[in-house]
Amino acid sequence: MFARIFSNIIGAFRRSIQLRYVTMTVALSAVALVAVGGFLSISIGNGLFQTRVQQILQESRRAAVDVQNTFNSSGATDVVSLQVLVNSVVPNLEQNSASGSRRVALLRTPNQATDQFLQSPISTTLADSDIPLSLRTKVAKTENRLIYRTVNLLVAGVNQPTVIVGSKMSIPVAGQYELYLVYDISDTQATLDFMQNTLAFGGIIMILLLGIVAYFVTGRIVAPVEKAAEVAEALAQGSLDKRLPERGQDIVATLARSFNKMAQSLETQIGELSKLSKMQQRFVSDVSHELRTPLTTIKLAAEMLEARSSELDDKAKRSLDTLISQVARFESLLSDLLEISRYDAGAVTAEIENNDLKTVVQLAVAGLEPLAESLGCELKVKAPKAEVMADLDRRRIERVLRNLISNAIEHGAGKPIVIEVGQSKTAVAVTITDFGVGMSRNQMDRVFDRFWRADPARKRTTGGTGLGLAISLEDTHLHHGWLQVTSKQNQGTTFRITLPKKKDGIFTESPLPLGETLSQRKIE
Amino acid sequence: MVHKVLVIEDEELLNRQLCDMLETAGYEAVGSLDGVNALLAFKSFNPDLVLLDIQLPPTSGIEVCKEIRALSGVPVIMLTAKTDDEDVVAGLEAGADDYIFKPMPSFKVLQARIEARLRPKPKPEVNELVIGPLVIDVLGHEVRRDGVRIALTPLEFNLLQTLAEAPKQVFKREDLLKKVWGYHYDADTRLVNVHVQRLRSKIEDDPDNPKIVVTERGVGYKAGQF
Repeated sequence: MFARIFSNIIGAFRRSIQLRYVTMTVALSAVALVAVGGFLSISIGNGLFQTRVQQILQESRRAAVDVQNTFNSSGATDVVSLQVLVNSVVPNLEQNSASGSRRVALLRTPNQATDQFLQSPISTTLADSDIPLSLRTKVAKTENRLIYRTVNLLVAGVNQPTVIVGSKMSIPVAGQYELYLVYDISDTQATLDFMQNTLAFGGIIMILLLGIVAYFVTGRIVAPVEKAAEVAEALAQGSLDKRLPERGQDIVATLARSFNKMAQSLETQIGELSKLSKMQQRFVSDVSHELRTPLTTIKLAAEMLEARSSELDDKAKRSLDTLISQVARFESLLSDLLEISRYDAGAVTAEIENNDLKTVVQLAVAGLEPLAESLGCELKVKAPKAEVMADLDRRRIERVLRNLISNAIEHGAGKPIVIEVGQSKTAVAVTITDFGVGMSRNQMDRVFDRFWRADPARKRTTGGTGLGLAISLEDTHLHHGWLQVTSKQNQGTTFRITLPKKKDGIFTESPLPLGETLSQRKIE
Repeated sequence: MVHKVLVIEDEELLNRQLCDMLETAGYEAVGSLDGVNALLAFKSFNPDLVLLDIQLPPTSGIEVCKEIRALSGVPVIMLTAKTDDEDVVAGLEAGADDYIFKPMPSFKVLQARIEARLRPKPKPEVNELVIGPLVIDVLGHEVRRDGVRIALTPLEFNLLQTLAEAPKQVFKREDLLKKVWGYHYDADTRLVNVHVQRLRSKIEDDPDNPKIVVTERGVGYKAGQF
């Protein structure tokens, strides 16, 4: 859960340059503000506190001196009048404070030679234990100086910042005492807190404002870049007429102008190329059509001669055979050229129907049996018992299979050809394996190239046009399928065609392995 | 009986070659090199069948085909070097009964197509068939709708008759190719589609919502039930 949120945030950061800059601005200004605010708060706090302490010390000194003088000058020596005097000290000092309430304690220094006979007066809200022992020890040892300590006292359940000032008193007859004045400085603390809160609040507002400013500023800069990215993407997808708006004279406008110039020249050149390519396709198509009529005439004339071949001598007959076979080759070359030009023009649509691939394979095999027999090679078909149904254009797939099988027969050196049919949940496949001369790596790479022949000098028994595999590949791609080859020199070649079962279906693996039949045969 | 074939083909050598071969095969053949002469020749020669090149100057073969259709229902077989679907369909829609690509596999194939078009229908078992508002006079080769005669080509008539003779049967396109066109091999089922459309446009009230020749989705066609 958290991991997902985290990765979402990371993702957003990666994607948005604006988010990154805003965050960076906010973070840096937060650090700066915390530093400045901290310094201000500490120094103001110190100042406030020191002033207050000085004031307290002054007050305390006066009080201490007053109290000492009162004792010194009283001349009282009996316990009762001394006790009265001592008791008057606390209410007196409680009232005579210049800076709000203060509490008072007059405590006898412990461990003296004489006994204690006076009660130690103390403010009602104060307890002996509120005065820290360490302070008491220090006060007891220090002459003519005020000792102070800052502590937190619990008053009515609330911690109160407090300054306790202590000084030594000597009371005639009664011995050594310590006078403690306890000042509540929570008003100073409140002032300090208020100031700190104000600073913090101001700081947060400042950071938010900076964030908003950064957002708008970066937005102004990032927006044209984002627009450019969007248009570049559209161009890459093929919308060549997309352009950037050109406004102003700044660097962004320059970028837009250069970008548009680039897009324009791209559009012009691609348009030019596609026009050329269309012209070329058109030309190929026209040529194949124009050649058809004279070819028909030649063909019919040859047929007429053939009907009378008994009247010809052997040499003339041979010439006639040559004429007929070459006209046939010329014709298949023309129709292949036309087919390729149709593919190039993107003018091909498949007539897809649900068919049993096994039937298509059987048809293709049946058509090639005579050729296989004449070359003394056997066609072995291995297919599953069940139907192998798939959405395909029967005519085109039969043509692909016929082409692959006749290639295998041609290059199979008279050895058996193995044709396997397979299916999975998502795909169907046929492999065609011959155990003939095979191909080298280089030959394999070029096998689907137009007009390429493995052996330029080979016997053209089947009148191949050099376009067969190129057309087969186009036919396969029309079905969103694969046509693949593997081959080993002097061992043989396997072609595998894999097609999705359902039209526009997706498959990731062919039901049949490529090249296994080839290696199995080797072991045999 | 010697059948008369008019060859309309602008390529002189091919025209002569076709005529020669047709004559050798026992037909009476006349060649015509352009569309204008073709119509004159058609009227004077009165052929039993027309072989028509689609790319014909100055008027295209499609125009010639339409004009011939306006005059008569004589079988027309298109010769075409254009193998694109639109060209084929355009020719069929102009009224051609059949087509054959240049170069044809052999003259024998062309001859088989010609024979299929000229072959007389076997003697019908009944004289009159009725589908809905249509009355088909089998002997008189006429179709009437509410007493008004509708002009159909022989091919269209055969198509309608075939469907009407077995009113409950659904015909696959391949079956119709066999029965009506006389093909005994895999041929282009578009022939059937286009001719059914043409037939509907002549006999149906609303060709877009046919009642007489009904499409059985994924199978073929059958006569409508009334």
